[in-house]
Amino acid sequence: MKFTIYQESRPGKRPTNEDRIAYCYSRDALLMVVADGMGGHLHGEVAAQIAVQYITESFQREAKPDLKDPFLFLSGAINNAHHAILDYAADRFLPDAPRTTCVACIVQDSIAYWAHAGDSRLYAIRGGRILAQTRDHSRVARMVEDGLISAEDATRHPARNRIFSCLGGTNAPQIDFSKKTPLMTGDVVLLCSDGVWGPLPADVIPRAMSTGNVLQASPALLNQAEARGGENADNLSIIAIRWEDSYAEDTLGSVSTKTMPIDSFTTQMEAFAKARKGAQPLPNLSDEDIERAIQEINAAIKKFSK
Amino acid sequence: MPPQANVPLPTGYQLDEYRIERQLSLGGFSIVYLAFDKEDTPVAIKEYLPNSLALRSTGDALPSIAEENVATFRYGMKCFFEEGRALAKISHPNVVRVLNFFRANETVYMVMHYERGRTLQEHIQKHKGEIRESFIRTIFARLLNGLREVHTHKLLHLDIKPSNIYLRNDGQPVLIDFGAARQTLSTDTPLLKPMYTPGFAAPEQYNSIRRELLGPWTDIYSIGASMYACMAAAAPQAADQRIERDQLVPAVRRWQDKYSRQLLETVDWCMHLNYLERPQSVFALQKALADKDRIVPRQTLLGHLRKKVKAFIK
Repeated sequence: MKFTIYQESRPGKRPTNEDRIAYCYSRDALLMVVADGMGGHLHGEVAAQIAVQYITESFQREAKPDLKDPFLFLSGAINNAHHAILDYAADRFLPDAPRTTCVACIVQDSIAYWAHAGDSRLYAIRGGRILAQTRDHSRVARMVEDGLISAEDATRHPARNRIFSCLGGTNAPQIDFSKKTPLMTGDVVLLCSDGVWGPLPADVIPRAMSTGNVLQASPALLNQAEARGGENADNLSIIAIRWEDSYAEDTLGSVSTKTMPIDSFTTQMEAFAKARKGAQPLPNLSDEDIERAIQEINAAIKKFSK
Repeated sequence: MPPQANVPLPTGYQLDEYRIERQLSLGGFSIVYLAFDKEDTPVAIKEYLPNSLALRSTGDALPSIAEENVATFRYGMKCFFEEGRALAKISHPNVVRVLNFFRANETVYMVMHYERGRTLQEHIQKHKGEIRESFIRTIFARLLNGLREVHTHKLLHLDIKPSNIYLRNDGQPVLIDFGAARQTLSTDTPLLKPMYTPGFAAPEQYNSIRRELLGPWTDIYSIGASMYACMAAAAPQAADQRIERDQLVPAVRRWQDKYSRQLLETVDWCMHLNYLERPQSVFALQKALADKDRIVPRQTLLGHLRKKVKAFIK
């Protein structure tokens, strides 16, 4: 597994930073989480902290060194984090449980899996274009999707910050899961809170990531979002990776065959998955095994020759 | 860093009982040579030499294999043996014949019958857009005899494409390169990623997790795509892209003036993204190819409804 990663969280112009972010990886699996504690509720940062900590700890317990079922992991970890927040509130007799959004992503075997609740986002970006993106759990975002209001209107809509799914709420969170998304070398996966995507026009994020240089592009994106956020800039958090795994390089099917001359239909083959599945040692093929296989084949050739 | 290409064995090199004449083709996984045996009969020899693991430089016969790659190199040999095993059992005029298998230069070699002729790919290039219906029907009907034999042995080719279809000088097509062939039921090689060629591989081949979906219909998709390539003189849109956004113009619409409707429908039938909608056996497809008047099963009502619902949801 090979990747470049950048993460940063800033308070913006707010007195406290209620965003929490984390990433964590084992030899074969990577976890990234962004949680945006909700202001207006008590201790938003506590909810975000519990969520991030809980999911990270679950990952450390289960990714040995990879997860058996990443979606099952995400579902379990996020739901349990929700209950951990409720327990925290109950233990302290809080009148209302603190709340947070959450977006979490697992990458293993060059496949990305993610899940989210709320309006913290994940973008999968290939060559400066959005390959996949989370759908915010907010009525305003759905109204934009349905064409009832424009994206422009949405940035000013009074209910733009209201979300209908979160962790710590009275209702269990509605969690949306991604498709399994195979990554190619150079793909960028970016997780961020609404403080980042909110002030920026829709195409800025994918364009900023088109170079694939997450180490430079991510802080630049934060600067831009913070500047546009003005006096009221919200907390801003970002985690971005550039996937570098070379095993997927020659194989995934973004190859455009339309412009391919006919003499170039080459067979592409993935190199052996040596490091990725390193967990299982390769069965050793001894000299005797090779000799036996050759004898077997030659015997079959003789037998079936007419 | 892309792996470097391997240097082939030089002309005149004595390999076991064979004399190397020249390199015929070079792939990421192997090199194929034209060579002569003791009786001066030409043979094709395939050398197992994955360039991501083993590199041979000019002047050397032995490839250099990094210490950490030795186990993987040996493991990959299993795949090569698989191909040998697959072919050894099949003796059919439309399937390449294996003659011998041996070890040398720290790797393994497969000796095959050398056929004179050219690949269908070369033929397509030479006759761009001028391939006649009768040619397509005849070549594919014969080729399918070979493929039927392959399927009878519970094997799938999994990499059928014009460059793996060889046209002998006597007009017989021969199915070559079984490097991707797998025993349908064996799942003991999960470490080896399947090979596929964009444009000719069936959609189910892109999803290596769902191997149980592979079947005769998978090779049949590739047959359909190869017939399509004969007409278009180019590879059709890759199946994984078709799933995202299907831009493949159905043969029926694209060449209605050039080929009979029945042939075009047969091609489209083979190239259904849903494997259940394709011919389920080579025999079913052969019947369609042999009989011009046969009616090609249209899309089933269920499939039609499914498509409608999908379009609606989107």
